[in-house]
Amino acid sequence: MTVDARRRPGIERALAIVAVVGGALAVVAGSPTRATRGSVDVTELARIVEHEEDHVTAVELATWIRDDKPRLRVLDIRADSEFADFHIPGATRVPLAEIARMPLDSAATYVLYSEGGTHAAQGWFLLRARGVKNVFFLRGGLYEWLEQVMNPRVASTTPQAQRDSVRALTLWFGGKMTVVDSASTTTVPSVLDGALSTPHKSDTRESIKKIRRRAC
Amino acid sequence: MIGGAPFYEFGRFGEGTSLVIAVLLGIAFGWFLEQGGMGNARKLSGQFYLTDLSVLKLMFSAIVTAMLGLFWLSWAGLLDLSRVYVPETFIAPQVVGGLIFGAGFATGGLCPGTSCVAAATGRKDGLALIAGMLAGVFVFGEASPAIGQFADSTGRGAWTLPQAFGLSYGTVVGGIVAVALGAFAGAEWLERRAERPARPMKVVA
Repeated sequence: MTVDARRRPGIERALAIVAVVGGALAVVAGSPTRATRGSVDVTELARIVEHEEDHVTAVELATWIRDDKPRLRVLDIRADSEFADFHIPGATRVPLAEIARMPLDSAATYVLYSEGGTHAAQGWFLLRARGVKNVFFLRGGLYEWLEQVMNPRVASTTPQAQRDSVRALTLWFGGKMTVVDSASTTTVPSVLDGALSTPHKSDTRESIKKIRRRAC
Repeated sequence: MIGGAPFYEFGRFGEGTSLVIAVLLGIAFGWFLEQGGMGNARKLSGQFYLTDLSVLKLMFSAIVTAMLGLFWLSWAGLLDLSRVYVPETFIAPQVVGGLIFGAGFATGGLCPGTSCVAAATGRKDGLALIAGMLAGVFVFGEASPAIGQFADSTGRGAWTLPQAFGLSYGTVVGGIVAVALGAFAGAEWLERRAERPARPMKVVA
């Protein structure tokens, strides 16, 4: 047969040997998908969570972004359309499922945020399980960002220096600080005190409205 | 950095580039199928009479090559296996579809890919099979409201051999290499036997 005339037994034998060796070693090589298989030190994670070293505040994150913290990666794990509406400057949208398998930079600092804090906290766990050490989540989520970076309400009794630093940070991100009567608020309003019910003239107001209608 | 491939999945190149690469790979695929004689219906149907098992050997060569490549690249961290597309399994419809496919393959002597190869080299049976294939696709599309329920039944999702057998990935890889080498040896033996047509076949007990 014509096919037989072109045969080179030497090459065939070499390829067969490669296949046998490759197949035999595969049996003992272990899982090929170890990259996405994480393991966690449960005790260590519990300690980190208990000592509140697992998250950042919106103001801390804002300062990192403004000061150009080296290798900072801000990951937005909300839906595409929500990301398009509004996101923290410099953030990348990454769906939660993607967190489990995206390529990682072990030297980077990752900050995750969602609308509230739950999904980001879950993403934090995934990245920890994948061996990333420098990973944080925004505890109050985008709510906290809008409230304390974009539209902070500062009491009139707050010292001038502190007010100036808040104003500078807010202006850097294009937000607006409001000074309110000291009787009606604390220096830094909590997410729970209903500060969002005061309408603010800002370009994120629409986003706030949308976010407040959702449960996350 | 974990996982550099699949390049498209990780955004190493865009859709345009991936289409260009697809065309180049397609040309190479067709070229080598033709070089291997896979555009010839007579040669392919030899498979079903156990006289020429080139298809079996070609398929097992391709499977073993791709499998070992994927396994070891993934093992070395160069490829993210979870990003490689795995077609979903639907047991009952795929058994029925496989039987229809096999009947068509044995009758026409070409499968969908090789019929394109045959048509590209000007073989009329290749063209006829492509026309039949398109007609079949059309009929299936028109009939899908009626048979859609069956076509979606017994779905197992992306179901791989390690999951089905409860074995480790590496064990399955080693097992398939062993099966492939056994199939090669068996195929060569059958072909040698078929090359002696003058002698009446003797049953050796």
